[in-house]
Amino acid sequence: MSAPVTPPAPAVPAAPARTARPTGYALLRAGRGSFLLHRRAAVVALVLAVLLAAVSVAYLCVGESFVAPSEVLKVLLGQPSGQELVVGTLRLPRMVVGLLAGAAFGVAGALIQTVARNPLASPDIIGVTQGAGALTVGSMTLGITSYGVLPYLSVAGGLLAAGLVYLFAWRGGLHATRFVLIGIGFAVALRSVTHLFLTKGDYLVAQQAQVWMTGSLNGRGWAEAAPLGWALLVLLPFVLWAARAQRTVSLDDDTATALGARLNRTRLGLVAVGVILASMATGAAGPVDFVALLAPQIARRMTRTAQIPLLCSALLGAFIVVLGDLLARKVLAPTELPVGVLTAAVGAPYLIWLIVRGHRDRGRAAGGKA
Amino acid sequence: MTETGESVQRRAPGAREADHDAGPRADRPAGRGEGSPSRLTARDLTLAYEDRTVVDGLDLDIPHGAVTIVVGPNACGKSTLLRALGRLLRPRRGAVLLDGTDLARIPTKRIAQSVGLLPQTPVAPEAITVGDLVARGRQPHQSWWQQWSADDERAVTEAMARTDVAELADRAVDELSGGQRQRVWIAMALAQETELLLLDEPTTYLDIAHQVEVLDLVRQLNHDRGRTVVAVLHDLNQAARYADHLVAMKAGRIIAQGHPAEVVTAELVREVFGLDSVVVPDPVTGSPLVVPGRPWQSPRT
Repeated sequence: MSAPVTPPAPAVPAAPARTARPTGYALLRAGRGSFLLHRRAAVVALVLAVLLAAVSVAYLCVGESFVAPSEVLKVLLGQPSGQELVVGTLRLPRMVVGLLAGAAFGVAGALIQTVARNPLASPDIIGVTQGAGALTVGSMTLGITSYGVLPYLSVAGGLLAAGLVYLFAWRGGLHATRFVLIGIGFAVALRSVTHLFLTKGDYLVAQQAQVWMTGSLNGRGWAEAAPLGWALLVLLPFVLWAARAQRTVSLDDDTATALGARLNRTRLGLVAVGVILASMATGAAGPVDFVALLAPQIARRMTRTAQIPLLCSALLGAFIVVLGDLLARKVLAPTELPVGVLTAAVGAPYLIWLIVRGHRDRGRAAGGKA
Repeated sequence: MTETGESVQRRAPGAREADHDAGPRADRPAGRGEGSPSRLTARDLTLAYEDRTVVDGLDLDIPHGAVTIVVGPNACGKSTLLRALGRLLRPRRGAVLLDGTDLARIPTKRIAQSVGLLPQTPVAPEAITVGDLVARGRQPHQSWWQQWSADDERAVTEAMARTDVAELADRAVDELSGGQRQRVWIAMALAQETELLLLDEPTTYLDIAHQVEVLDLVRQLNHDRGRTVVAVLHDLNQAARYADHLVAMKAGRIIAQGHPAEVVTAELVREVFGLDSVVVPDPVTGSPLVVPGRPWQSPRT
């Protein structure tokens, strides 16, 4: 046995040349706390907030009669104005419902897409809004029409549907693709259940339910806005938690676990928050299709973040619904379209594009293991 | 080179030891880990997927402060074992102990502060930058209100310098070559700054130069920082070159373990891989080098 030859000495790493704060993030310090803020996402959020404010003012100005922006501002600031009735009583509550529902749909879609790691997974695709719809319409045909009860029935329906999808998709862990496919199956089944209720029910109720089912803000007001507003407020801390949890959950299962994420518990929490938000929004505005699907994906393309930005999804969701309802009121005036028809007209082609594109790069986007 | 050394643990298939808690074991591996207590141990570990048992009643002490490499034929359970050591797979029976406590009873975040793991095929979120991904290795050391500390900054800077990916910090992980990407993942695992590091086939998909680079890096980490490393490798010769402690597995059992010079013999290669070979000293390191038998030849020549 000859003497071993000495291998070349391993290179010593060069002294660190640059700081390694993650690219694109700003560091905010407050006392002992430190927070990472994605710069581009912050700018996008600001721009979206300005756009949302603009479209909101436009919404209040435009209608059967035009109200000058100056008058609108007067009403908003609580100053005496002759347009109190039109702006403050008729248009504002309806707009607030759209705003809150859009924001709730946006966040809900972002959370569920994060868990499923699939842009197709949104509450209106995987059966959540259909569950909310089935129980609401079912209750309507049974004579329960009180606005004090319907939103909660809607949440119950959404949670029930999501619970069933979760249960069926569970096999020692949550498999993302199975979750989406089973959800789509449930969505179709629940839609049939809703139609069954409609055909069995009273004609007038059925007609009312039909309008509700397309997602319309017509006739919605503070009664619908209040529970939704409270839900958003109560869930805000959980949404802040979710924004942080996304950092690990968006990695593959093994890596996320190795980094100390309690994956199953975290996912359940994210889905639960998403489902409650989507169901509350559905209860208030009806299933405004495709908002939950569109808003998070567009927001993400705008911010170029590695995970779906929650605040921007909320702002964009609100923007889409308010703008959609503004157009829905004016396009075929004096006939009003339900806003859901408009969002569907934009959302459906996008969905098809997603599926076509998804087929092309399926290899890369393979879901995680159980 | 035909007889295994005395310190090598050999076990007949099916044999199981009852003396799990019996003091220091006589068969403790030689080499750098000698004498130091083992932080990570497996006891009577049985691992199964659905109804297929992959590892059956396995005991293993990971020598502290050493590089342990697990080898074995395809589907012998080596990756499964590594996943269990990193609590990615819950044992059907038995347990993996970290400092004497069952992993199942330690909060996963606390495990993540001591044990890092790089899976075989990690998947990065679309469009994530290198800097962002490496920074996520710091997750177990952070909290909601402390998302970035001076320690995080230092750990990430060091990890990126060590793996030579600092230049790539602003690039998207999607755009990188396989070798660069693997270095980025390793940087993420390093940024976690765990005393124990588990690597599942870290050289897969890399060309030979990058393979050597990654394995040298593992050695260097072990030497400079005293990190305990457990790696699953396909290449027996690389394993023999880089391991302080080699574990040879077959059909869910440990066939032999110890210092490569004592473990790697023609007899073992035949037993574990079913391959006839000649084992000679590596001309560079002196470690055992497995040279397979003559390639197939046409009978006419």
